[in-house]
Amino acid sequence: MSERGLRIHELRASAGGTSILKGIDLVVEPGRVHALMGPNGSGKSTLAFSLTGHPGFKVESGSVTLDGIDLLAIPPDKRAKAGLFLSFQYPAAIPGVKVANFLFAARQALHPGDLPPAKFRALLLEKMDLLDMDPSFMGRYLNDGFSGGEKKRLEMLQLAMLSPKYAVLDETDSGLDVDALRAVGESVNAMRASEQGKDTGFLIITHYPRILQYVKADVVHIMIDGRIVKEGDADLAQRIEREGYDTIREEISQIA
Amino acid sequence: MPSTLERLAVPQNLDESILNHARRQELLDRAFELRSGRERPGQFWKIDLDALDFSALRIAAPSSPRISDPKKPGVIACDLATAAKHHARLFSQAFGSAVGVLNYKFAALAAALCNTGAFIYVPADLAVDEPVEITYNVQDGALFPYTLVVLDRGAHCTIIERLEGQERATVCGVAEIVCAENASVTYAAEQTLPSDAQSIFTRVAAPGKDASVTWCVAELGAALAVTSVDVLIDSPGVQAQLNAFFFPSGDQHVDLVSTIRHNVGESQSQTLIKSAATDRGQGRYVGNIRIAKHAQGTAASLRDDALLLSPKAHIDSVPALEIGANDVKAFHGATIGALDENVIFYMESRGIARDAAEKMVALGFFEPVLERFPTSALRDRLRSALEAKIA
Repeated sequence: MSERGLRIHELRASAGGTSILKGIDLVVEPGRVHALMGPNGSGKSTLAFSLTGHPGFKVESGSVTLDGIDLLAIPPDKRAKAGLFLSFQYPAAIPGVKVANFLFAARQALHPGDLPPAKFRALLLEKMDLLDMDPSFMGRYLNDGFSGGEKKRLEMLQLAMLSPKYAVLDETDSGLDVDALRAVGESVNAMRASEQGKDTGFLIITHYPRILQYVKADVVHIMIDGRIVKEGDADLAQRIEREGYDTIREEISQIA
Repeated sequence: MPSTLERLAVPQNLDESILNHARRQELLDRAFELRSGRERPGQFWKIDLDALDFSALRIAAPSSPRISDPKKPGVIACDLATAAKHHARLFSQAFGSAVGVLNYKFAALAAALCNTGAFIYVPADLAVDEPVEITYNVQDGALFPYTLVVLDRGAHCTIIERLEGQERATVCGVAEIVCAENASVTYAAEQTLPSDAQSIFTRVAAPGKDASVTWCVAELGAALAVTSVDVLIDSPGVQAQLNAFFFPSGDQHVDLVSTIRHNVGESQSQTLIKSAATDRGQGRYVGNIRIAKHAQGTAASLRDDALLLSPKAHIDSVPALEIGANDVKAFHGATIGALDENVIFYMESRGIARDAAEKMVALGFFEPVLERFPTSALRDRLRSALEAKIA
């Protein structure tokens, strides 16, 4: 049996001919919360898209395995079926496709036949309640005309409904007010406390440490210029809060 | 060489109570003099509608459509010939009053050769709750249906016209709505003919003061489907809605022209069009909004979205607004494009395979207009028909 975990090894990736990821090594362990922090342009979102297989990003070399499955060899939908979930920073709007229908199709694709429609609906209502979402959301077109906060809540609703093995949250906290941020945090914590979510590994990508006040990180990774330059525990995030990324940049340049 | 006109004579067996033989022949002659007004064959659009050859047409014997029972005393729902005989006054007042058959090439043709039709009349202040369903089934020979809907003051009803038929069917028809003050009517047309049929329709509504009229047109079948949908607004307070979608696949051609004529002010119109094309399907849409010089206080909107699902599919889309008045609210928006890769990727990332994602997005594309169609049964039929075309 191969090793568990979302294991990223020596990953190099580019977009439009520009090299962005310059050899990433990172292991997200089941049931653990990893925070990936870094300034704008450091390559955090490129990592998220490379993991999920966005056609706009090209993996040059390296490997990514999810509980032993070679993710880079399979298309995006198969990666999701393997257990990977990405919460998008900018989720797509799909006019004409209702939230409930979309979620049912996704749930069916990932866990075929495990929930009859009535039970699915009950579960959906329960999860929506947890996220302070009005039941009328179910009948709205997916992300069509949604506010920033509504979009992020919907991403969290999908996370809760799809029960992935590994979840990458790409700047889910950006642009959220305190209430929405708390709802996101509570949703992640509720998932981690549940039977089916206790083994889910999280990679929380963020610019600011404030989401980490709601979700406690086990490991913090700092990314600058396409490389992981520093790792530590939750205290590292506190240091970023106080000092910003500049002092870390200086440390790195002194070592180099 | 005999001309098309000489070879196509009005058959002797057509009903004389609807129109007498001489009048029919006059209209037929007129049909071949008139131009369709759709001359612009472009790079993709190869069909010249003025050169369509009707010489080999075999005209079907007179028949009656299937008309559902409106189950409401006072409402008349019968075939057109019966109406011409037994409700002569109502019939003759309304017939041709909105369409002005002499002005439309294909309406003149349809009226000249009219061999089937339906007449619906709703008396004042009566609401027909159940939609009245009219089914034209094209079997042997070309069909020229004429549907005439008349609503008296404050009346309300919903009509669903279904067009079905066998292979190689030809249909050329008219739907005419005449409604008095405060009346409200929704007319849905569902065209699902086999993919080698021809369908040409002229649809015109003339609403009275404060009346509301809604057209819902779905063009899904036929090798060639040509449709005009018009609303003539000659009274204030009118609410007009025009919802239509089409989806040529295979080698289908669809040509839709909608025209809202705001001849007087203080009225509103909304036009919503969704069109997609796949395979070698070709579509053409012209959306006219005409606001006359004195039609102050008009509010008109036109929204038209086109989706191309294959590299050989093509849609020409032309919103055409002519605004003569200065105190109006007029809006138009048009989009055309392929499926958005970011949307497809988003769905794939949720485990939905690419094929299924594309299908879901394409079906979703029609949903905003489909939702405006009456009855869940009709909406479900249309969804299934769309799904079958995408598969």
